[in-house]
Amino acid sequence: MMGDIRALPARRRVGYTLEAAFYTDPEILKLDLDVIFGRHWIFVGVEPEVAEPGDCLTVDIGPHAIVVTRDDDMALNAFHNVCRHRGARLIEERHSNVGRVVCPYHQWTYGLDGALLFAGHMPKGFDKSCHGLKPVHVRSLAGLIFVCLADEPPADFAAMEQAMTPYLAPHDIAHCKVAHTEDIIEPGNWKLTMENNRECYHCSGAHPELTKSIFAEGFGFKPVGAAAEASAARFHALVDTLHGEWENIGVASREIDHLADCVTGYRTERLPLEDAGESETLDTRVACRKLLGRLSEKRLGALSFWTQPNSWHHFMSDHIVTFAVFPLTAETALLRTTWLVHQDAVEGVDYDKDNLIAVWHATNAQDSALVGKAGDGVRTTGYQPGPYSPDTEGLVEKFCVWYIDRLKAALA
Amino acid sequence: MSNAAPLSVTFSLTGRVITCGADEFVLDAALAAGMKIPFTCREGLCGTCKCKLVSGEVDMKHQGGIRPKEIAAGKFLPCCSRPLSDLVIEK
Repeated sequence: MMGDIRALPARRRVGYTLEAAFYTDPEILKLDLDVIFGRHWIFVGVEPEVAEPGDCLTVDIGPHAIVVTRDDDMALNAFHNVCRHRGARLIEERHSNVGRVVCPYHQWTYGLDGALLFAGHMPKGFDKSCHGLKPVHVRSLAGLIFVCLADEPPADFAAMEQAMTPYLAPHDIAHCKVAHTEDIIEPGNWKLTMENNRECYHCSGAHPELTKSIFAEGFGFKPVGAAAEASAARFHALVDTLHGEWENIGVASREIDHLADCVTGYRTERLPLEDAGESETLDTRVACRKLLGRLSEKRLGALSFWTQPNSWHHFMSDHIVTFAVFPLTAETALLRTTWLVHQDAVEGVDYDKDNLIAVWHATNAQDSALVGKAGDGVRTTGYQPGPYSPDTEGLVEKFCVWYIDRLKAALA
Repeated sequence: MSNAAPLSVTFSLTGRVITCGADEFVLDAALAAGMKIPFTCREGLCGTCKCKLVSGEVDMKHQGGIRPKEIAAGKFLPCCSRPLSDLVIEK
């Protein structure tokens, strides 16, 4: 069986959706969890989730259970969330604050740096230093937390960090707070969720709330016909003008695209928004009157930041929305959405939570239904890979190219 | 200090009242009195014996088994704490 699966990446038809097995086969899911999620930088959360010493954030990705900790020196650490004694899961809750990491089974006690500090009833000569928690690589990209389970993580994270910091730093993620989190079980393979995110071909038909503020042209959508071309020309003129204005005030904005040509693939661009142009809200105005970081300009559009394999993010002047996707089964995935506002913003005073989350709450539900439609189709006998639109689905193709290339590299 | 008069420790949930020497750890006194308080390391590391101190003061010499935030919320570790006054513990 594995022999068949190993042949699949090599025969992928460029420009077409993947074969059904990639969306349905549990053996491919195992391969994804090993090669893609086990050997690349995976977005797992934001620094405000582990703001104080002793804060812990747990993340489960298939067979990988990870805990990210903030130690007393404010350093971030990450470990496998499993005791070195009898293998019990150490920390159950997604968020917690602890003095030490204490196993609930026999109270083996670890420091926030992973060192084993106490193990009762072990014989003389037992070497605690050989039984620390197994480390996981962790990096914060301007407040976005990534982990890598590989012994040798992809080295090009540093290049992404250097390039992206001027884009993200003005939003000062570390001094935000989580205003709301939403977990959705997507009724389809994790790649269907990612592919759906990488195009706006479906936006005009599916997303009445989101399209009040965003221009589809910003997401790889190329127009056809005179009216659409004129509209796109106006959009691109607006992009040029605003990029100049924004970069003049120190807010990096211009497109960088390494979705398909880097091991740590990513893309970014700060995109104008419609009407008031301030935020991805129903009225296109800021949802929070306290702006992020030291920003004083409300009208900064929305910075999009996409990472391979599992995240996308929207940064506005007043709030941030981050999205992380984790495989659950071959045909389901967890989509975790986190809304952040300035840490001093007060709910009901500076922002109304319903207004803050309205657009993406609605959009997520619409997208989830679309992922379900795709999931329902790809498992039927009538499915065969279909062609991507070169005009509007170029970024989906880049996701597939990156994914297939990474599988090929691992299988070589 | 060892000659100082023992202090009283009241357990508010069970109503038990015991005595604890001024140079004795509260956990040791409670165990000697036959009370069942969960503990493991007995050196202020693991936090297993953590309790709420309703009133009174202790001299606690922990090794990181309790966070400043927890101490501020009235918690303490009886395994590494000597009484400085009569105590009331939520247990």
